[in-house]
Amino acid sequence: MNATPSQVRAESTAGEPRAAVLAAVATRGLCKSIDTRSILRDIELTIAPGECVTILGANGAGKSTLIKLLATLTPPTTGSIEILGCCARRHPADARARLGLIAHQAMLYRDLSALENLIFFGRLYNVADPTARARQLLKVVGLLERANDPVKGFSRGMTQRVAIARALVHDPAVLLADEPFAGLDAASSAGLERLIAQLHQRGKTILLVNHDIAQSLRISTRTIILREGRIAQDRSSSELDATAALAEVNGL
Amino acid sequence: MTAAIRQIGLLVAKDLRIESRSRQTLGLVIVLGLLIVTVLGLGLAAGKPAGFDATAVLWVAYLFAGVLCFEKTMAVERDEGALAGLMLAPMDRGIIYLSKLAANLLLMLAVAAVVTPVGVLFFGFDLSAAPGSFAIVMGSGIVGFAAVGTLFSALVSSTRLAGGLLAMMVFPIALPLVITSTLTLMGVFRDGRELAAGGVGVLVAFDVIFLTVSWLVFDWILEP
Repeated sequence: MNATPSQVRAESTAGEPRAAVLAAVATRGLCKSIDTRSILRDIELTIAPGECVTILGANGAGKSTLIKLLATLTPPTTGSIEILGCCARRHPADARARLGLIAHQAMLYRDLSALENLIFFGRLYNVADPTARARQLLKVVGLLERANDPVKGFSRGMTQRVAIARALVHDPAVLLADEPFAGLDAASSAGLERLIAQLHQRGKTILLVNHDIAQSLRISTRTIILREGRIAQDRSSSELDATAALAEVNGL
Repeated sequence: MTAAIRQIGLLVAKDLRIESRSRQTLGLVIVLGLLIVTVLGLGLAAGKPAGFDATAVLWVAYLFAGVLCFEKTMAVERDEGALAGLMLAPMDRGIIYLSKLAANLLLMLAVAAVVTPVGVLFFGFDLSAAPGSFAIVMGSGIVGFAAVGTLFSALVSSTRLAGGLLAMMVFPIALPLVITSTLTLMGVFRDGRELAAGGVGVLVAFDVIFLTVSWLVFDWILEP
């Protein structure tokens, strides 16, 4: 009998097998095609709980599509996805409850305040005390003093910080981030990097797409390189240096 | 079921709060509806053509105002990618459809409440003869129209043609509702007959079909 993706033994970044770990994210034979164009081909991925994984790749390699598939924002053409043992196709709502997503766009309502946005999303996720949780997260991202200001008055960096709070409002076990540093200034980028490191230390599973190779190798424990929709490399970040990773990304 | 109702309430309240802040939709659609009725009223002041019926003119106003309404309420979800935020929530995506439909219906109700009296004045339409019949027939027609309009607004909102494309897609589908409701109301107001159960039945059947199909396919057409 074939094992389901989540039953596949997740391996640590050092390649040593872990005993009976329920994978945080597991895909099997994942493919995505749009019209006749193949975007992702046969992605087999097992990410153990608590791992921080970076996905690198040239433009058009399929990184953002992979994140969208994992977030259940678009259905796969073939293949399966499990989030902490929950099949995303059969139980999409349960899978989504375990996920948080930070993307290019903030996924916020510009006419609502930061606090109203977080309370609204907190209620959607059945957070017990959404107001308290929203205030707590605004404090974490350093925006408590601007809690009642509408998001449309925020800078790109501030909006991104509210977006991070939105992604964490239901305390998801798995955090997906699609180029979360895009458009941020150096200070905001450093702040977000610290926050991701803290979340990783607290045991969150993090899967992020990033274009800054040096930063990616610094943040993550494992690096996956996509090329033309396939996994070209899947290695411990400590085994890669930025130059080698850049060559891998570009297929040199 | 309770959770679904709570979620729909949450989403509708959010839409109404945003509308109360931005005031982008309601004012605009009411003005458009009034303009249509006024222009047609003044244009027909010289004399109404044979077989003229005021409900058809009201439908013109409802249709154009409705399309603008559907487009605007969905545009709120496209701004900053908020729709993806809703799609990520642990709920059936049909909830997003039903809540958007409810918000659109509330806005269209407000439009009808303002535009209809103006149309009545312009066209000398004696609504007092059978206000209940008018409300039932027009209400049923608007529910079906909003059902398809909400679905297609989600479909076309990510395209550049949004507004024009939405009208081109929704108007032909809404035609059976317009024809049925106009004929049914002509029977009541012009010919003085009782409200025809057959006409209302056809409208309700269209509503049920449009609502069911739209709710079922909404998840498939939704793109973040």
